[in-house]
Amino acid sequence: MSNAAERAEQLALISRLKATYPEVPEWPMPDQMTHDHFLAYMKNPHDVGGELDVPAAYENKEEEQWELMTYVLCEVLGMRGIWVSEERRRIGNVDVGRAVYLGIPYYTRWLWSVGRMLLEKGYLSWGELTDRLAEVQDRYAGGLAGRLPQAHPKAEGDGSKVKRNAHHLEAAGIGDPQVFAGKADAAKFKAGDRVRVRELPALFYTRTPEYVRGAEGVIAEATYESPAPEDETWDRPDAKPEWFYIVRFKQCELWDAYTGPMIDTLQTEIPERWLEAAR
Amino acid sequence: MRKGFPVTEHDHDHDHDRTVKPMVDEITDFEVLEIALRELCIEKGLFTAAEHRLFTEFAEQIGPTPAARLVARAWLDPDFKRLALTDALTASKEVGVDWLEPTGFGTPSDFVAFKILENTPTVHNVIVCALCSCYPRPILGNSPEWYRTPNYRRRIVRWPRQVLSEFGLALPDNVEVRVQDSNQKHRFMVMPLRPRGTDGWTEDQLTEIITRDCLIGVALPTPGVTTNIITKTRPAVRPIAN
Repeated sequence: MSNAAERAEQLALISRLKATYPEVPEWPMPDQMTHDHFLAYMKNPHDVGGELDVPAAYENKEEEQWELMTYVLCEVLGMRGIWVSEERRRIGNVDVGRAVYLGIPYYTRWLWSVGRMLLEKGYLSWGELTDRLAEVQDRYAGGLAGRLPQAHPKAEGDGSKVKRNAHHLEAAGIGDPQVFAGKADAAKFKAGDRVRVRELPALFYTRTPEYVRGAEGVIAEATYESPAPEDETWDRPDAKPEWFYIVRFKQCELWDAYTGPMIDTLQTEIPERWLEAAR
Repeated sequence: MRKGFPVTEHDHDHDHDRTVKPMVDEITDFEVLEIALRELCIEKGLFTAAEHRLFTEFAEQIGPTPAARLVARAWLDPDFKRLALTDALTASKEVGVDWLEPTGFGTPSDFVAFKILENTPTVHNVIVCALCSCYPRPILGNSPEWYRTPNYRRRIVRWPRQVLSEFGLALPDNVEVRVQDSNQKHRFMVMPLRPRGTDGWTEDQLTEIITRDCLIGVALPTPGVTTNIITKTRPAVRPIAN
């Protein structure tokens, strides 16, 4: 239980967590918001390629048991048709906003996405989740005392009435993206074609990185047919598959003042909706 | 109030309780959340405990060895090399990795689209997922922490040679550095060049020098070197139970 002083201390801590540009007042009036700042706030926080950063000491990390269990939890939910992984990527890497994206550990965001998805899709109520969180905390009140944290489901539920996606059945024995083969319109581009990445006013989610938008490259390969992630992320079984392409860019054209040799390249995979023929 | 969070005693220096409390091994917020969600999923029938166990067993056995063996075999067998570069899924099967496992449609996060990028005397490949941490898990295991960091992801796409130099890898200007940002369903791995000084080596011997870092593209295989570049490892509080 907290007292007033402890509550004040926590509020002071929260007050130091800044998530806005310092040069603009908090809660800006519409006329105080520039287009560039709006784009910056709307940019998917997972899209970090090319952001400024300095060298850092890289290190490995031994995995926590709960991290493995989190990975498994997310994947089993996919295996059983509760979601596809693209829903997880949006909820855990983008919907969290920049402060949480950069501020909490990697697998914590995976966990966050599970709770969020189960609530949004109606598999769980807030009360059920909250009660269970309190119950698990109480089980270990006073410390673990040598125990390892463990899950103890009270029963195994009847899964036969649970709403599941068609994808986990349709793709079984075939694979994803193989299950979508033959379902897209004819490919617009072929290897060797010059293309430009469109600059779409993409809100809420995309996997086409900002750093290639507007850039010209060459199709290295038409790769597979699949619904675009911008559809899969919102669980749209009706989404029409389209062709994906690996596009090759010259680094010296992609980046202003690229410091390496002219021959360096970068490749990334892009769905057809994001590409147009370059003239 | 900060129940469940294993913070050290708050470190401001006002003067309340000076007695040193014994270190309490508390459950973390993360563990509480994972347990609560897993229990509720099983109770609601979203998946069974047996299905959870099945995927756990799959996740516990993945690692970089099959990928290293695949490359070693490709170095020794030109037909297999051709297969690896044109049909990486079939080549994976020959080293014991079926990308359809364990669900029948692949792991939900890794899909069934795998491509091996061949290094040549004039091209050096390096992989990243600038959006998250896409990585060929079924054949290479889980990604190292540094691969997931915003730092690596921000910089490798824009300053690849600088980042590679931090791994001790300096490439001449006549070698094209090709960054592969794997941000959709394809998963990628690098097939490095076979180094000098390995004539007559067996597949097993070659496999040993093809480290995970070589397959990401931040290192080159070197006779006598069987460890990754980054070895510093932060220990877990409660590591994966055996």
